Amino acid sequence: MKLPVLFLLVLCVNLSVSAAETESAKLWLERFSQSLRQLNFSASFVVVKNNQAEPYHWFHGIDEAGQELEILTRLNGSRHDVLRQGELVSYLEPDQEPYSVISDDTRGPIPSVFRGDISELEESYRFISVGRSRILGRVAQLIRIVAKDKYRYSYWLWLDQNTGILLKMAVLTRQGKLLEQVQLTHLEVNDKLSDNLIQLKSTELPKAITLTNQQQNKQLTWQVDWLPRGFSMVKSNQHYLNSYNRGADRTVDFILFSDGLVDISVYVNLSNEKFRAAEYANDGATLVFNAISQGIEVGVVGEIPLDTAQKIAESIAPASALSRVSANQAPDDKTLKNEGLSSRKSPTNELKND
Amino acid sequence: MSEIKSESISSLVDNYSPSTDDSISPRLIDSMLKDDELASTWKNYHLIGDVLRDEAPEALQLDLSQSIAEAIAQEATILSPKLSANAVSTKESSSLVENDDSLNAELEISKANNVQDAVQKTNQNTNNVVNATNRFKAKIANFAKPIGQVAIAASAAALMIVGVQHNVSDNSITPNQVVQTVPLAGYANPVSFSVQSPQVEQYLQNQQQSQQSQQAKNEQNVAERVAQQRRLQSLLKDHNQQVKLGAN
Repeated sequence: MKLPVLFLLVLCVNLSVSAAETESAKLWLERFSQSLRQLNFSASFVVVKNNQAEPYHWFHGIDEAGQELEILTRLNGSRHDVLRQGELVSYLEPDQEPYSVISDDTRGPIPSVFRGDISELEESYRFISVGRSRILGRVAQLIRIVAKDKYRYSYWLWLDQNTGILLKMAVLTRQGKLLEQVQLTHLEVNDKLSDNLIQLKSTELPKAITLTNQQQNKQLTWQVDWLPRGFSMVKSNQHYLNSYNRGADRTVDFILFSDGLVDISVYVNLSNEKFRAAEYANDGATLVFNAISQGIEVGVVGEIPLDTAQKIAESIAPASALSRVSANQAPDDKTLKNEGLSSRKSPTNELKND
Repeated sequence: MSEIKSESISSLVDNYSPSTDDSISPRLIDSMLKDDELASTWKNYHLIGDVLRDEAPEALQLDLSQSIAEAIAQEATILSPKLSANAVSTKESSSLVENDDSLNAELEISKANNVQDAVQKTNQNTNNVVNATNRFKAKIANFAKPIGQVAIAASAAALMIVGVQHNVSDNSITPNQVVQTVPLAGYANPVSFSVQSPQVEQYLQNQQQSQQSQQAKNEQNVAERVAQQRRLQSLLKDHNQQVKLGAN
C-alpha cells in the first residue's frame, strides 16, 4: 500500500522539477532577450568552427531617443560589418555595395530569435535549465535548448547570472558532438554609450534597398512535401545565384523556411547535367547539400543534419502534383516530373530575357 | 641479364602480372627477389612513379627495413643468454657487496667501460656474439634492458609530442580545404570545407590504370573538386544573404 503512494509522490516531484526547470529556463531566456535589447554593452567573442576561430567585436546600446544602436564586426580577414540604427540594418561586405534592410534584428553568429519571442520555439524545442558554471570569469547559468526530434541540432547557452547576456553558446548534434561554438572573451556593461556607437549615431547608413533582381513570392512550380515539424515558409522567390565564374549566373527558384531558430534554404533549378551524385559540405553547423537528379538540381542549406537535408531534397515534387493526383487518379511519377519540368522552363527564360 | 631484369621490374611496377606477360616467369621473380640491387631498383621505380604522379608524401619516409632487421639481429644476442646472464650478474653483485665503497665505485666504472667495449664488439661481429655468452654480455643484458625500456618510453613520448604537434598544425593549416570565396576581388574568405564525395573512392579504383590517363584523371578530379566547392560555396553565400534579407 505504501509503495505505490511513494512512487506516485516521487513521480509528482519529478514532474514538477522538470516543469520548474523549463519555467526557469524560459525566464532566463526572456531575461537574455531583454538584455539584448536594453543594455549598453561592448563585447568581444570568437566563433569556433571548422577548427578555426573567428573573432568579432560587438557593441550595443540605446541612445537618448530610445533608438537601438548595434555594431557587429568581424575582425579577421575581409571586413564583414553589421550596423544597426533602430530598424535600419546595414551590411557592409567586401564583394558588394553596402546595403540596408528594414529589420529589427542583426543577422550574425548569435541567432536573432533570442532577441525576440522565444515561445515560437516551443513547438520544436524543449528548454531546460541545467546548472551553473564559470564562463568568462563570471557565474553563468546553462540553458539547453534541446530539439524534440532528430531532424535538427540542439543549442546550449551559458547566460551571465548578473546581466543575462550570453557568455557562451554551443551547437551540438543529438549524439552530443560539438559543431560550432561562440565564446565571449570580453564583456563590459556600461551606463553610457561607447564611442563607436556615438559615432554610428551620426553616420548616415545606406537607404533600405528594394530588391530588383528577384521576383517576389512567385508561384513556384514545385513544392517541398516534407519538412521537420515547426518549419514554416518565410519567403519564396526566383533570383540569380551568384556563382563565382561570372557570366554563368543562373536563376534559381528559392524558398526560405524557418522554425524560429534555424533557417533552411531550398534551391531548385534546371541543369544541363542529367545526374550528379549528392555532394555536401559543412561550415560549422551549417550544411550545404547539392544534387542533380533527372535534370533538376536541388540545393539545401541550413543548420540541419545531413539526413534532414536529404529527406527535404527527396520530398521535392511538382507543385500541381497533389491536385492532379487527386483529379487524374494518380498518373505515374515520371510523367508528373516531366510536366513539372516543361512548365518550369518558361519563367526561367522570361527572366533571362529581361 | 640485369637489363632484362630491370625491364621486367619496370613492367612489374606498371602492374603487369606474370600471368599476362610471358617475359616474366615466376622463376625470374624468385631470382629477382634475392637480388638486393634489384630490390633497391624496385623501390626507386616506385618512388619515381609516385613523384611523377604527384603522389609522393610530403616527407619522404626513410627506409626502415634495414635498420629494423639490424635491430632484430641485435635483440637476439641480448635475449638469448638471459638465464646465464642473470646467474653471472648475481654472482657479480654478491662479490660487489663484499667490497668496500670505493672499490665498488671503481668496479662500476670498469663495468661501464666493459659494457662499452662489449657494445663495440657486438657491433663488429654480430655473428659470433650469439655463441659468446661471456661476462660482458651478461652486463649488457642487465644494463641495456632498463636503458632500452627508458629509450622506448622516451621515444613513445617523443612520438606523442610529434603526433600532437602534427595534429595541431593539421588543424590550423588546411590549404586544400580553404575556399576563396571571391578570388577576383582579391579577398579571401576562409571557409574551410570538409567535402565528402565518392570521387575519392572512384579515384582509388582508377589507380589500376596507366600513368598518363591517371594524370589526366587527377587534373579532372581537381577541376571537379574546385567546381563542386564553388557550387557549394555559392549556395552557402546565397543562403547567408537571403537570411540577412529576411522576409524581403
